[in-house]
Amino acid sequence: MALLEITDLNVRYGEIVALRGVSFAVEEGQVVTLLGANGAGKSTTLRAISGLAKPASGDILFDGKSIAGLGPEAIVRMGISHVPEGRRVFPGLTVKENIMLGGSNRRAAKAELGREADAMFDLFPDIRKFSGALGWTLSGGQLQMVAVARGLMAKPRLLLLDEPSLGLAPVIVQAVFRIISEIRRTTTVLLVEQNARMGLSVADQGYVLETGRIVLGGKPEDLWANEGIAAAYLGGHGKPAAGLAAH
Amino acid sequence: MDLVLQLLFTGIGIGAVYALVALGFVLIFRATNVVNFAQGEFSMVAAYIMVVCAVDLALPYWLSFIIALAGMAVVGLVFNLGVYYPLRHRTYLPVIIATIGASILMANGVLALYGPQPQVLPGWFETPGIQLGPVYLDSQYLLIIAVTVVLVIFNYWFFEHTMLGKKLQATSQDKEMASLLGISVSTMIMITFIYSAVLGGLAGLLVAPLLFVSIQMGSTIALKAFAATIIGGFGDVAGAIIGGLALGIIETFGAAYISVPYKDGFAFLVLVLFLVFRPQGIFGERVAEKA
Repeated sequence: MALLEITDLNVRYGEIVALRGVSFAVEEGQVVTLLGANGAGKSTTLRAISGLAKPASGDILFDGKSIAGLGPEAIVRMGISHVPEGRRVFPGLTVKENIMLGGSNRRAAKAELGREADAMFDLFPDIRKFSGALGWTLSGGQLQMVAVARGLMAKPRLLLLDEPSLGLAPVIVQAVFRIISEIRRTTTVLLVEQNARMGLSVADQGYVLETGRIVLGGKPEDLWANEGIAAAYLGGHGKPAAGLAAH
Repeated sequence: MDLVLQLLFTGIGIGAVYALVALGFVLIFRATNVVNFAQGEFSMVAAYIMVVCAVDLALPYWLSFIIALAGMAVVGLVFNLGVYYPLRHRTYLPVIIATIGASILMANGVLALYGPQPQVLPGWFETPGIQLGPVYLDSQYLLIIAVTVVLVIFNYWFFEHTMLGKKLQATSQDKEMASLLGISVSTMIMITFIYSAVLGGLAGLLVAPLLFVSIQMGSTIALKAFAATIIGGFGDVAGAIIGGLALGIIETFGAAYISVPYKDGFAFLVLVLFLVFRPQGIFGERVAEKA
């Protein structure tokens, strides 16, 4: 049984249909990447899974139980942590406080959350020195690290990452993806990316969304192998350079 | 010089009352993005509960005080469930109008239950006050200042050093993100309403012995407190407290040196000056909320 199984999912925002009949599965231990252009429905898929968007129809099974229509507070308690687009680090709280609040889905004392947040800096050494800095003072890359660290504090079985590379310098993007390959050893990841190369470089499985539908899915090497598909959906360059593929 | 010290003491005392009500305004505004126009009515309702308990039923003063504050916690809870919760997914406008409606309901509800005659509430202490050098320290003003100091310290500790305080701050900064972390947003907002109602009620209980307890007392206090929040910088906790104290001092000095009948006018004159020359208030808008 897959950890996450989505069947014929439809989501609407008022009159606008954002997702039409989306179905896919995420196996435990995998990294699955959703690719597609702006407005294709990638973020909506994540929002439906984490409970921010209510499905109009279809089902979402997590560990065999239906979570479609539950609220975000209930879903994160079941073990799905969503790091949304735009990082959404609380601007008026410090880095450490932001990370500590990531454990709000569990019953943990303040001191324990503090220790766990300190331990989290081992995975994110770049932000350790900003522990006491307020969220709004950080750069985009630092904010992304804080957002991912906060998402991991929930001790999720499934981590949803929405466009972690957006707006970051290439060297920072590589640092973020190094962290994702660390995370995948312990946590299943559903990743949304516009950056197809980076997104597929860490993935076991990739899907391409177009105007609310999944138009393509498969193993990264198969997606790259098909020249036509690669040109149309993955940035138009066919197989990536060897150096990038190594990540 | 003696007069100046005396006026300063009185001004800080009355300013502390405005600060408590202003704090209630700011906390609700930060949690819900809505100005609660019934904030002053919390003070009025608490004062009437106090009159019923301490005067009409002749219960001990401290017990009446506790009953009134507990009553305000219930009022805050009901207010949250009845006024805010059903409209929480709407824009701010229906919620603001609902708070205006609630304020009319509370004022007229008390009028219907208790009648229009203003009531007198004695102060907590039988000693009227103590003479300290040139300054006469009225016992009720001393109580107001002491309670406000304790509350400001408690408020700081609560928001800066407890996880619940951090969750409340997180909720006020980004509700959707807070809910993604498993923070119960509706519980956080409920706690905010209860706390703000108790703060408003406390202000009412403290100031009531200095005024008549009347249906109108809520709106007068609320207007001053609202002016205080704008002077301090809207949405800023420290600004609300400093703004409240500043307003109390300004109107006390204005009354003493310029004109007693225009006492209330000074508060609003200062408000207008701030709106014209420094609309962001003393502390400005917090950068944090802009980022």
